[in-house]
Amino acid sequence: MFWVDILNQCLIFAIMAMSLNLLLGYAGQVSVAQAAFAAIGGYAAAYLSLKHGWNPIAGIGLGMGIALALGIIISIPALMLASEYLILLTLAIQTVVLVGLSNIAAFGGLLGLTGLPSVSLLGKQLLLPSDWIWPLLGLTAIIFALLSWIGESPFGRVLRGIREDQLATQSLGKDVFVRKVIVFGLSSMIAALGGGLYGMYNGTVSPPLYGFSTSILLVAIVVLGGRGNLLGSILGSIIVVGSQGVFEQVINLDPASAALIRLICFGLLLVIVLMVRPVGLLPERAGIGSLLRLLRRRSARVAAVPELTAEQLATEVAQGVGAQEHAGEPAAVVQVFDVRKAFGGIRAVDGLSFELKEGRVTGLIGPNGAGKSTVFNVITGRFPPDSGTVHLFGQDITGWPIDRVARHGMVRSFQDVRVFPNLTVLDNVRMAVPHQRGETLRDLFLTPWRVIQDQKRTRALAEHALAFVGMAEKANVGVSTLPFGEQKLVALARILAADAKVMLLDEAASGISVEWVDRMIDIIRKLAEHGLTVCVVEHNLNFVERVADHVYFMEAGRITAGGTIEDLVRDERLVEAYFGQP
Amino acid sequence: MSAVTLATFLGIHSIRDVGQATIIGIINGASYALLGMGFALILGVTGRFHFAYGIGFTFTAYIAALGVGPWGLALVPAAILGIIVGILLGVACEALVYRPLAARAGEQALLGVFVASLGLVIAGENFIPEVWGNNTRPLGGFPDHTYTVAKLVFTRLELTLVILAVVIAVVMTLVLNRTILGQQIKAVSANPDMASAVGVNVGRIFLVVFALGSLIGGIAALFTGMRFAVTPTMGDTSVFYAFVVAFVAGVTRSPRFVAAVGLLIGLIESLSTLWVSQTESSITVFGLLLVWLTIRVLPTAIRQLSGALSGRGVPRSAAEARKAVS
Repeated sequence: MFWVDILNQCLIFAIMAMSLNLLLGYAGQVSVAQAAFAAIGGYAAAYLSLKHGWNPIAGIGLGMGIALALGIIISIPALMLASEYLILLTLAIQTVVLVGLSNIAAFGGLLGLTGLPSVSLLGKQLLLPSDWIWPLLGLTAIIFALLSWIGESPFGRVLRGIREDQLATQSLGKDVFVRKVIVFGLSSMIAALGGGLYGMYNGTVSPPLYGFSTSILLVAIVVLGGRGNLLGSILGSIIVVGSQGVFEQVINLDPASAALIRLICFGLLLVIVLMVRPVGLLPERAGIGSLLRLLRRRSARVAAVPELTAEQLATEVAQGVGAQEHAGEPAAVVQVFDVRKAFGGIRAVDGLSFELKEGRVTGLIGPNGAGKSTVFNVITGRFPPDSGTVHLFGQDITGWPIDRVARHGMVRSFQDVRVFPNLTVLDNVRMAVPHQRGETLRDLFLTPWRVIQDQKRTRALAEHALAFVGMAEKANVGVSTLPFGEQKLVALARILAADAKVMLLDEAASGISVEWVDRMIDIIRKLAEHGLTVCVVEHNLNFVERVADHVYFMEAGRITAGGTIEDLVRDERLVEAYFGQP
Repeated sequence: MSAVTLATFLGIHSIRDVGQATIIGIINGASYALLGMGFALILGVTGRFHFAYGIGFTFTAYIAALGVGPWGLALVPAAILGIIVGILLGVACEALVYRPLAARAGEQALLGVFVASLGLVIAGENFIPEVWGNNTRPLGGFPDHTYTVAKLVFTRLELTLVILAVVIAVVMTLVLNRTILGQQIKAVSANPDMASAVGVNVGRIFLVVFALGSLIGGIAALFTGMRFAVTPTMGDTSVFYAFVVAFVAGVTRSPRFVAAVGLLIGLIESLSTLWVSQTESSITVFGLLLVWLTIRVLPTAIRQLSGALSGRGVPRSAAEARKAVS
């Protein structure tokens, strides 16, 4: 009976820890208020069952609803906060909720509520720990399955993208804000479920039970077990709660002393694990998703990914975006008019106007500090311009956020690659595929079979893009372990998979080996022939000469010349501006 | 004074009540100022989210209380012993845990350091009751005296705290602005790589900053212990206030400014007790903090959300796109 009780407590903690893992492990949002959301579930169930004779299960349900609403409300300010401030915000929430609860007389003040009625499930009273074990096991399994489904889906992949690099995720057209709101709400709701069970199982709720210590214990469990690995959260709960039993029964300490010593050991264990194994006991990639993949791979044939030619890949990409070749004068798909952007006193872009024509490759060259990268930042919406307008396909997109611009068909790459370091090569590229089924909860829960089907399409597209840049064999390698040149190739595959009609490549060819530069030129030319529009910012003039139909020369935030590269090189003043005086 | 006049004008309280609340606010504010200055120094210069600041705080007060209690020391040596232990703990956190961890974690060091210091908090908070018992301890021995000036009551201990907070704010500002060490600290704070390039030993400065921050936090701990009592979890609330003061002020601001914010928060909290109960006054502070954080980010959040919620449409074909262009 003793060990059954310990197991039950482990399961309840596992539910709360898994709820935090969704937020902290997958989406990278550090919250120290998880116990406060648990308290909402606990107090709702306790108060309503004790004082109003509700069924405790209904009370927990109401608590979950309240926590969901509160989680959504606090996510709004949390959206924009750097992680230090998010910690501060959640700390404030933890304090306000707990001080609030302990000041409400009806909730028993600092002592809380005790002598809660027993829970009855399907007509059976849950009195003994052994009565609880099956419902708790079932519930833990359900939560585990639910969160695994979410976490390993395209939705979960976007969450990981938010954790790894929010800007890069947005630049691929993913809406990170709505997803953050959903995750905050969902995580709070499941925490309230865990908190409700915690209170009803122990027959009491009190402020210390859901205090700040519990919140940090949950953070510690998630990090110890492994961020982004739900099995890790269960393991962490077993270690921290189960050790109580070991200290009491095996080492024969009195319960109070055992509770203290296990937490001392746990705190030190956490520090040691962080120092020697920062990913936690079970790393993210040893999660349920990869276990399933492992099983599947053993049964399924290992299909070699066919290597496509530039022509084939370009056709595939062009079909994906619905671009087509056409005759006659190409239309200007991007029109930038008199854009200005200043940072403090520095006018990085100062009265800039240019056009990108459909099916053409445009080069943007100029000396360092001319504002080339800022042009990309401004026209894709990373920084809204101070004045001037940007049109894409004839629509005014000035001031649109970067993800909306990307969904409208214009995607950029970054000079500093901005791959997602802790994701695999394949996941980096899969993330880019637009319109994936299962990027929203609606898809995940209303049409799950379509999500699974659609993953095949996503995977094929990503694998084709990877095979093209010669990285197919490293599909399951973590990107952070690759050398810089290969990361650049992954970034290229990513933008190819992004299915954009307009691609802006920022120094895409620098730092990669010559043969791949040739391949890159090949694919860019082919893409343009298929009706896509490309703009490259590049220092390598030879590259620009070979790839670009039209070249703009940029100096001090404005375009001072345009033409073919031969035209520009003939102009002595430009050569001097570019290379400096001889 | 204007708050006094205003509250009186509102006809809610007597001048004496308001005056006394102001005095208490200044005293608590002095304590928050010290906490905030120490924490802001550490976070601002080293970038380490040193949550275990609270453990150093608790240990300082605990050692001093044990010193004057079971160990039979006088207050001053006991206090010095406590301060030394607090400093050693802070320096040890940096040298033994944060630095090796940050060297491995790279860009994600903030979370790693934060969680590691949570681990230290969990271990430390449970170490104290396990070894020294869970009971509240007094930290006595201060030759206290109660003053009554114009019906307003305060003690010599409280007066000392306020004076000390002012002195430390001034001295810290002078040290940072006028000494070579201070210049080095500021250089590391602004740009560690550049500071290192011009010959500043960044690792040593980090240790010095942890020592200084722990010293200032330790002084706050001694006064908290002397004013109230010493408990195993006294560091929790204190570190909350340290966070709030440091973040609201801005971690790289001058100590004088941080101290002023600490004082302001003490005053807000204390004056709010004129309307809400004592136990709810911390809600006022943290509630205001929520409002402050929300206001800070709301305009951007709204812009992003409205952008996200509209314009999902993507022209499906180039033909459509051309139609749109023409």
